[in-house]
Amino acid sequence: MMKKGIILACIFMFLGAGIALAAAPKPASGDPIKFGAVLPLADITGKQASRAMQLAVKEINAAGGVLGRPLVVVIADDEMKGEKGAAAIDKLATVDNVYAFIGGMSSGVHMAQLPVLKKYAKPTVWIGAAASSVIEAPMAEQAWYFHLHPWDYQQVGGYITGFKELAAKNPLIKLQKWFIGYEEGAFGTTGYKGFQTLWPQQGWEVSGASFKSALMGGGEYRAALRQAKDYKPDAYLWLGYDADALPMLEQAKEIGFAPPMLIGAPPGWPADFGKSPLAEGVSLFGMWAPSLKEVSKVSKHFWDAYNKEFNEAPATYFAPLGYTNVYVVANAINKVGSLDQDKVIAALKDTKYDSPVGETLTITASRALKNQGFTKQKILQWKKGVQQVLWPLDFKTAEPAYPFPAWDKR
Amino acid sequence: MQIVSKLRERRYQAILGAIIMAVIILAVKPEVLLEGIQRSSLYAVIALPMALILGIVGIINLAHGDFMMLGSYMAYWFAVKSGLDPLLAMIPAMLAFFLIGILTFYALIKPVLGSQELNQLLLTFGLGLVLEEAANLSFTSAPLKLSVPYVSASLTIGDLTFGTFEFVYVLAAMLVFYIISLFLKKTRIGRAARAVGQNPKGAKLVGIDVNKTYLIIFSLSIAIIGTIGVLFAMRHSVFPVMGAPYTMKSFCLIAMAGIGNITGILWYSALLGVSESIITAIPGAAGWADLVFFALIVGAILIRSYQQRVK
Repeated sequence: MMKKGIILACIFMFLGAGIALAAAPKPASGDPIKFGAVLPLADITGKQASRAMQLAVKEINAAGGVLGRPLVVVIADDEMKGEKGAAAIDKLATVDNVYAFIGGMSSGVHMAQLPVLKKYAKPTVWIGAAASSVIEAPMAEQAWYFHLHPWDYQQVGGYITGFKELAAKNPLIKLQKWFIGYEEGAFGTTGYKGFQTLWPQQGWEVSGASFKSALMGGGEYRAALRQAKDYKPDAYLWLGYDADALPMLEQAKEIGFAPPMLIGAPPGWPADFGKSPLAEGVSLFGMWAPSLKEVSKVSKHFWDAYNKEFNEAPATYFAPLGYTNVYVVANAINKVGSLDQDKVIAALKDTKYDSPVGETLTITASRALKNQGFTKQKILQWKKGVQQVLWPLDFKTAEPAYPFPAWDKR
Repeated sequence: MQIVSKLRERRYQAILGAIIMAVIILAVKPEVLLEGIQRSSLYAVIALPMALILGIVGIINLAHGDFMMLGSYMAYWFAVKSGLDPLLAMIPAMLAFFLIGILTFYALIKPVLGSQELNQLLLTFGLGLVLEEAANLSFTSAPLKLSVPYVSASLTIGDLTFGTFEFVYVLAAMLVFYIISLFLKKTRIGRAARAVGQNPKGAKLVGIDVNKTYLIIFSLSIAIIGTIGVLFAMRHSVFPVMGAPYTMKSFCLIAMAGIGNITGILWYSALLGVSESIITAIPGAAGWADLVFFALIVGAILIRSYQQRVK
């Protein structure tokens, strides 16, 4: 009896182990499938996006790879220069023989890449470059081109909806008078023109003053801030760069300018911005915030895995976008079961991916492009050093701090 | 009578014009004058050490702003690592940049002292690029900013609220100007440096060690600009290419004032800083500030050329 029992136990153990082995993903083997990513690696956006891409690759390969083969992302640095970005595409296509192109950040760099991308016409899923006027129309007819970042006009449309919804929820919030402080380069002036066109259509008054960004050798904001102070706006919004963020707040404090709502709209924030007491109550726009991990399981998974892997926190939304970027292409290939380009493109069009930026990513048409991913950014706010989500209300992680706290009460 | 006769001199006419202008601005928009003076002082204190090198060593140091950038990174690193007030970083910065100046002189400047000006220009331009790329690789291009509460300190008098921290730049400009003037006039090395600046061959003939003088002046100037980098970092964001625009502005100021004219740098800094402040305070005109800045430079250089031709 005893012997029989031992034999049966062994059989069950072997069976159990066999079932477990069968259920576990087979390790990826064979020739790797390569994606070519182009990013500005010296910039925090590119650095963290590239790390997030490597994280996605690690997870995908641990789960069996792509078509059972290991996935490799070959990363090239565009150094924020158009010519380097274009050369990187050439190198990835001819030397590395990648299957698809991913990555991206700057619109200027991407403009220079468009002719090269057209030459190879490989599946391309881009996470940067929001300037619709120079990217969207030229790529309108390219079925292989997918753009995940919301276009500039989609972002502004989102903000209008967002502010209106926030004001409807909280009657204290006033949006009647806006003052825009904008850097005098293309980024700021184009943005300001957009506000001048769209804001009056909402019945909102808008005025503005330019300043020279610290990135261009400026860094003196007091003249623009004094004009804003005299205007007595309900909301002050500045369009500049990360280098302007803290000096501008210091100078606003210096002249005693604390409007009811203070919004910053740089493409990225300094890594230590949240640590400054001046950051409290500053609103901002972004696709993602660390606090999303409180309301989104995918975001929490991404946050934990990224922190564990790199011993640093993702500080820019290009990190979850980079992660999404790899998964979207890998999922499409796995779904099709082959590298047939037409079928993969069809699968990409059919994407439904629960992304760490919160929303489920689907592909829809934008004004000119057939394959557009995300369509809006979020309205966020710095609270106790953390970016909280105010809008969309589905992802809200905190109530708005309104009005903007006085400088001497923080 | 004496006053009237003095007013016939162009120098005193300029001073009187400046005073009248200042009084008018002070009455209409006092903050414009105060902020203009603060800005002028920043321009002056950055330009003075560059002028010293150009005036005596005879080299246009196009890496000037990049040494300031290194000083700013040093201040950031010092404050973050030690937890101490970044102002304290000025002392180690001065010593460190004096040494950096010595190394740079022996490694790069001395070998090109006798060569063509274009070679010297390209060398310092290249050095600037190397320093920027080194900072980029070490710290990335992401801007860093020190959080120092007192840099946003302000004073309110009646309806006027203005920042007080930037008066540090006024003090620094006056101090650097005074120290340089004193050094050049009252010390043996300073007098030797003036002689070398005016006529290096003659100075050598009378027994002055020209190379040693160059070394001291170059290292002293680098020590000053590195230390100014500490003050700059307290108020501004720090990133690899932050210094380049200030190299250009400093060079323009020196061109306006004339080589060797450090008093002129103070005056022209005041002219440019206050003009900029006035332009940016006019609604819708801020974008013209650079245009006015360079128009004033072109104008000043043209007038001086004309005066020299007439003489």
